[in-house]
This record gives sequence, C-alpha cells and structure tokens, in this order.
Amino acid sequence: MTGQRASTGQGASTGQSASTGLRGRLALAAPTLDRAARTLWTAAGPDDLRGRYLRYLTAMHALITASVPLLERAADRCGQLHDACAPLLADYFARHAREERGHDDWLLEDLAAAGGSPEAAKAAVPPPLVVELAGAQYYRIEHRHPVALLGYIAVLEGNAPAPGLADRLAADTGLPAAAFRTLREHAALDTGHLDDLCQLLDALPLTAQQQLETSVCALHTADTLTRLFLQLAADQGGRR
Amino acid sequence: MTGHEPADALTALEAAGFGIHALTEEQHTVLRSLTETELALLIDIKGRLDDVGPEVQAHSDLAGGALF
Repeated sequence: MTGQRASTGQGASTGQSASTGLRGRLALAAPTLDRAARTLWTAAGPDDLRGRYLRYLTAMHALITASVPLLERAADRCGQLHDACAPLLADYFARHAREERGHDDWLLEDLAAAGGSPEAAKAAVPPPLVVELAGAQYYRIEHRHPVALLGYIAVLEGNAPAPGLADRLAADTGLPAAAFRTLREHAALDTGHLDDLCQLLDALPLTAQQQLETSVCALHTADTLTRLFLQLAADQGGRR
Repeated sequence: MTGHEPADALTALEAAGFGIHALTEEQHTVLRSLTETELALLIDIKGRLDDVGPEVQAHSDLAGGALF
C-alpha cells in the first residue's frame, strides 16, 4: 500500500470522482441484490412470512452486533497508520460508531415484539454467510487498509429497507408495529449516512490501490449479501 | 489479488448478460477501468440471478433490508 499516487477523491485512471467510480460499479450489482431482497420479502402466506422475518431478525442481529466493534477497530488502526487518509477516516469511523451504538438491542426488542426469543437469537450460531460478511472486514482492516470498510458500509447502507417496508410487512404478517422499529429507523437513517460516506470518499486523498481495496470490498459484500438474502428466503426454518 | 485491467471489460460484461448498451458514456468510462478481480465479482453476482428464479412481482415497498 505504499508508493501509490494520491488523487484526492479522483479515480486514478478515469479522472472521475471516487464516489462516481464506486456507484458505477455497484450499479451493475444492484439489480441482482434488489431481486434477492424482493424474493426475501415475498412469501406464500402470513405464517411463512412471519417465520422468515424472525430468521431475518436473528441473522441481522448477528451481523450488526459486529458493526460498532468493526468501526472502533478501524478507527484504532487508522491511528496506527501514517498516511494522508488516516486522520479523516479515524474521525468518520469514531463518529459512525457513536451513531450505530445500541442498534443490535433494537433488533432484540423487535424479535421479542414479534414473538421470538432474544436469548435464543443471542445464543444461535451465526449463519456462515454472516460470518463471511463481517469476518472479511476484520481481515481487510488488519491486513489491508481500514479504508476498505467504506465499501462494506456503502453496500449495507445503500440497500437499506425501503421506506414503506416496515408498514407493508406489518400488514402482511399481522405482527405489531413494535416488531419493525429497526426497519423503520434504518429506512430513515441510512439515506443520509450514504451521502456522508460519498462526501468522505471524494474528500480523501485516496491512492489508486486504496480505491481498489474499497471497490473490491463493496462488490464482495454485495455478492455475499445477495447470497444471504436468498438463503434466508429459501430456508424453511428447519436449519440453524 | 490482481489489480490488472482486463483486455476489454465492456465486452466481458456484455458476454455475461449485462445490458451495457443502455449505460451512459460516463458509466462506460467507469467500467472500462474494472480490474480482473472486480470483473469476476460482478459476473459472480450476475450469476446469482439463476438462483433467484423467475421475476418476483412484488409490491414496490418490499425492497431493501440490509442493516449496518
């Protein structure tokens, strides 16, 4: 990661902004990921959808349990680096960690309101795809560069719940509104978060290598998230 | 990991079923700079559609769901 030309927010080989480069790549992944999400939320009937929603909450709890620790570790790693991106990145990660704190508890509250067991969710072995999603970020932070985490965040926040998803699922499942707080809150929160991330990307003096680490992380995340949604859609509840 | 640009990323994307002709010149410029690793990931993602099956006719609100 040394000896690379810095190019404040610009794609080194195209002259386009870093966020334009990332958005252009993710635009090709978007139709498949969008279809996987629609498949997840389209079930044969209310009973099927309720069970699927509980499995979704359990998997998402396992995933976002890692969000704040990942952000904190990325901020710490930035403090150990001596490159031009590190100070801005460290500030962003630390601020974002404060904003995300406690959201895993929201999921447990949603689970309880939906008739599930928070204790069982906390005890459940995470789906391997969840481990792949979060675990890959630890590798990148430790062994590549923490800037890659921006690719992970861009995909997750860029595919946040649709604004009407919570109300629609409440109607389709018959579950109380209290079971959908996390979906409702993230639909509102994550739009602004993604704009912040793109502004940061364009402000950073990124090297070509750092841009590549970020975009490969984003595409890997999109692929793994697509697989997770399809697995949750196909799971009939007999597997753990 | 390789950071090399493939010989012709647009041709490879088109062969994989991406609707390249519908994209803008700015998007073409972005995609011409894809590395082999990025191209392989995009083609993998496109292949996941085979696992999805027929297009789901869903209400427009039934979308998204990723959480961070």
